[in-house]
This record gives sequence, structure tokens and C-alpha cells, in this order.
Amino acid sequence: MEAERLKILTESAKYDVSCSSSGSARANKKGGLGNASIGGICHSFTPDGRCISLLKILLSNKCIYNCLYCPNRAEADVPRAEATPDEICQLVMAFYRRNYIEGLFLSSAVTKNPDYTMERLVETAEKLRKEYRFNGYIHLKGIPYADPLLLTRAARTVDRMSYNVELPSERSLKLLAPQKTRESLLLPMKQLALQKSEFTAEHKGKGKGKFLPAGQTTQMIVGASPEADGQILRLSQAMYRKFSLKRVYYSSYVPVVRHSLLPDTCTGLLREHRLYQADWLMRYYGFSAEEIAGEGENLPQEYDPKCAWALKNMQCFPVEINTAPLEMLLRVPGIGTLGAYKIMKARRFGALRFEDLARMRIVLKRAQHFITCGGKFYGSENTSAVRRMLALEEHSQTSEQLSMFSTLDTSASVLTGQL
Amino acid sequence: MNVYVTDGSENCFYTAVFSACTDKSCLLLSRSFQLPLGAQIVCVQEEKEKSDRVKRRLLQYDRHSLDDIGLILRSCSPEREMVALRYIRRIVQERAPVRDRRADASVSAAWDLRGKVTLEAHRMKGFLRFMEGANGIWYAPFTPDNDILDLILPHFLRRLGGQPFVMHDLSRRKAALWNGKDCVIVQTEEKVDVPLSPDEENFQNLWKQYYESVNIAQRPHEKQMKGYMPVRYWKFLPEKNGRPF
Repeated sequence: MEAERLKILTESAKYDVSCSSSGSARANKKGGLGNASIGGICHSFTPDGRCISLLKILLSNKCIYNCLYCPNRAEADVPRAEATPDEICQLVMAFYRRNYIEGLFLSSAVTKNPDYTMERLVETAEKLRKEYRFNGYIHLKGIPYADPLLLTRAARTVDRMSYNVELPSERSLKLLAPQKTRESLLLPMKQLALQKSEFTAEHKGKGKGKFLPAGQTTQMIVGASPEADGQILRLSQAMYRKFSLKRVYYSSYVPVVRHSLLPDTCTGLLREHRLYQADWLMRYYGFSAEEIAGEGENLPQEYDPKCAWALKNMQCFPVEINTAPLEMLLRVPGIGTLGAYKIMKARRFGALRFEDLARMRIVLKRAQHFITCGGKFYGSENTSAVRRMLALEEHSQTSEQLSMFSTLDTSASVLTGQL
Repeated sequence: MNVYVTDGSENCFYTAVFSACTDKSCLLLSRSFQLPLGAQIVCVQEEKEKSDRVKRRLLQYDRHSLDDIGLILRSCSPEREMVALRYIRRIVQERAPVRDRRADASVSAAWDLRGKVTLEAHRMKGFLRFMEGANGIWYAPFTPDNDILDLILPHFLRRLGGQPFVMHDLSRRKAALWNGKDCVIVQTEEKVDVPLSPDEENFQNLWKQYYESVNIAQRPHEKQMKGYMPVRYWKFLPEKNGRPF
């Protein structure tokens, strides 16, 4: 494949933020190339801070749909290109042999019709597995309205599939992506979730064949439509529960297309960051969406959602490090899952002191206000002082070295000694 | 005060531990150092019987201990032998695994070093770059901080076992050679000349093009990129204009 086409087909695929290569432990076969690593491996990082794990590419960007936010929508005047399945396979093999990538993330614009497009995607994946004997990671994008049988075929071949729900409400979807409906996105996710659980039940212990070993993910654009964080998190929670999704990705809106129905400015990266923090709280820390934010509420910008929850629920704190149950340790701001497990194990051998926590690499800047060690409290009693300190700490993390062009805001904070 | 000096090998280390474990004020080292006042140097030669006894005893107390200590000894820290020795003393003292006692200074120090080694090994699984040689052998040079060549080798054998390759740790002058059947680790010259296949440049350029295209320029976050991919690893990355030769 020549550089120009690679450029077009990649630039169209890059707004799909999903990049992970985890969740599958596919083994290499004799005479084959590659395997999948269960924890996933990042092979490079781009200047926007995202990792490159998979070769993210479209088969074609010639689209019949007209989703307003999409740079490849039918009406857009952009260079168009397509690749053949063999070209994709050869590129994957060449990159994989050089250890540039973990595998392939293949998507496509909807060309001709959904079935034709989905069939081309599945064919490419099957070719890569059978003809090229590739056993690395494959993530395949689902095409809405495609035949359910094609999905099943795809799921037997690839490691992960994803349908993007795109926007957090049906109303916004209708407005911005008129040809897609909520059903066209949710039904296939439901089908795959159901088939996966049937397959696992049927093949338990037989070890033959695979059905989407790394499960499904989805993605939402944040900031292109008016939904609040609380609503977005409730939707994520429902999808995690119903479809056993592995991940929901949030992509802060970047205006690549100008339209009267779309905002002109980028949604801040901070909002996306806060959503991811909240998402982690739901998946690993035992929080529910309702605890994190009210339905119409946005997440606070000043501090992370766990701090925000703790400040609202000060009656639960401080907790005693040496006796608190795991669920409560996980709710202390600044203590992560690994930290909580380390504490649980270490305290069996003797009471932990404040200095011990530091040695165990527990970050105490935030935690100190919410814990006691052997009954002794090391933080500040005053809730509003704690609030101020936590917000400041967060602020100093996001601030940069001053330059001549610094805004007033940062210059003022130097004067007040906050930096 | 005794200073035990080993040749850097694992068995020599365990031989030294045989005496050093109970020699409370001793030092255990494998490289050049400044002698403390009144130091008595003991040059340790490997003795199979002693090292086996130490290992057997450690395995009895904690069946993962040798793996953990092996990782610690691969660290580039000049303190590694002392850190490992203090960790061993704790195991012997407790006659049981001590890895969960993170509040203990010797255990947390050991785990910090171990963590650095495993982190680099994990990163290198991603950042190692192979180049196709003119003779059909794939060549991957790298300069890791810690001695991790044999740690990551099995990963690449499983994954790329179909292609003959050479993984070359330039800073330690050793290389793993794989011909599709057998694998050996050998000492090498500091620099080797590897003629590349005529296709190699083309694919490196395609990769650079891909790297450039997949970036979203409107949301720069270089600090995060450098956090995940420290600059010292860029030397061999084509997308970062690394020029190995």
C-alpha cells in the first residue's frame, strides 16, 4: 500500500479511540505468526498521549451515510480511498513482524450497503486468519443493519467487536446521525452478548473454538450534544450490566466538520478525563452511577469524582486503615485498587502506621484527610479547608511552567503562592 | 567487616549468601565500589553445593522466592545484591513468604527493584523493533536499563517463532540468536554491521506515515506520551526517527 492511501484510511479511522489489545489469550499455531497477550501491549505513543497498539484503519471511507459529525459523511468533500483485503493483510503482517503492532483494528465506511460492507470486513479478517495464518489480535467494527449471520461469522474469527452508540441519547442520534437508530446499534450488541454466553456455556471445558474472547466495547462522543455526565454514566452502567461490555470509550468532541447543529469548540480533555475516572469507579471500585452524579449533573472539574463523592459523604470518614473493610478502603480518595489490596495484606502482620503507608507507596496527599492510622488522624479537620486543598492540588497538576503568554489566571495563582 | 564480591552470576550470588546471610554487618557486591574503612574483601567463587543449599532452603520457605530474587538481581541498581540479601534474610527469619509485608523496609525495597525490572520488561515487549536483514534474519537492537534480554525472549519466541531473529542488548554486549530451531545467548562486539533488506526502508516509512496520521493534532498531550514512552527508548523507534546505526 502506498503512503497516500494509508494516510487517508488512517486519518478517517483515528477518531475511534478504542485501542486496547487486552482480554484475549489466543495462542500461536504451528506455522503461524503471532499471538494475543491477555494484558495487552502498547507499541508506541502519539503526541496526543494515546497509545498505538493496533493498526487502526478503514477498508474504505466512501460512505453512503451522512452523520453530521463525521469527516467521511457522504456530502463531505474529502479525498476518498479504499484498500483490498490482501493489501490490509500484507500490511498487518509486515508491521507485526517488525513488532510495530499487536494486531488489526479494522473498520469501514458503509459502502453500497451494510451487508456488503460487513461481508468485506469479515472476509478480510478470515483471510488474515486462514490464508496468512495470523494469530494476533483483531478488533472488528460492527456495521449497523448488517445480517446477524455475518456477525456470528465475524465473532468466531476475531477477538473483539464494537458497535459505537455514538451519542448518549436517542434524540441526539436522530438529530446528528439520521440514518442510524438506537436499535440498529443496540440489537447487534445484544445478539453478540447472548451468543457469547450461549457459546461459553456450550463449550465449557471443551476448549474448541472461540467466540469474541475479548468481548465487546463501545464509544460515545461527549460534548457534541447537550447530555449531562450523569446521564452518560447511567447509559454506560446500563450497557455494562446488560451487554457485559468490556469498556465504554468516551471521546471528547473535536470539530472536524462545521455545521449549525454542532458546537464550534473542542470539548475539554478534562471532561473526558473525569468521565473515565467515573467509569473506573463503576467498574473497579464498587460505585454506582447514581452515587457519582445526579441524572442532570456534570462531574465537578476541580477534583476527581471520588474526591467529590467523599466530600459529599464526610459522615463516612475518616476510616481506620487497620480495620476498614476493602469496600471502604476503595472509597478513600487517593487509594487505588492496588493500594487497597496491599493494605489488606500488609495489615495482617501488624498495625500499619502513617509512615508505613508512605513506604508502601500509598499516595497520601488526598488520602490523609480521610483516614486514621491506629486511631490517629493526620489530615485537616476542617472540611472546607480540605476542599480547598484538594482543588488546589488538582490545579497544580494541570498547571504548566509559566511563559510570557500565560493567562492571567495562572499568573495570579503564582502571586497567591498556589502554584 | 567483610565485603563479599561476586562475579555477577546468580549462582555466585547464592554461594556468597551462604556466608553473608548470617554475617550481619557485611556488604555483598558485584562491581567496583569504594572500600569502607577496615574492610575485609572476600572474593567469592561459585560453589555449587553451597548455592544449591541456599536455593533449596529458600524454596522450602517460599516457592516463588528464587523467581523474585532473579528479577531483583537483573536490576541495574548498584544496591541490587544488598537489597536481595536483606530480602533473603527476612524470608529466613520468618521461615515463610514475606512478599505481603510491604510495610517492612527490606520487603518494600526489594519490591521496588523488582517492579522496575518487570515494568521495563513489559514496556520492551512493545518498544522492541525488528528490522528485516538482507539475509532474511530479523535484527532487533536495544539498550535496556536492566538485564532483561532473557526475560522477554520467551515472549518473542512464542510470537515470532516462525522467523529467525537476533535480539541484541547493545549495552551489555549480548545477543539472543534464534534460527527457527535453537536459541542461544552469546557475547558480542559492541557494534555489529547488519545489512538490511531493500524493503525495510519502505515499511519504516509507511510506519512513520501511519504514526503521523493516527495522531489527533488538536489535542496535544506530549507530557503523557513521554510518561508512557520515556525518551531514552526512542533511540530505536523509527517513528521517533531513531537511527540505530
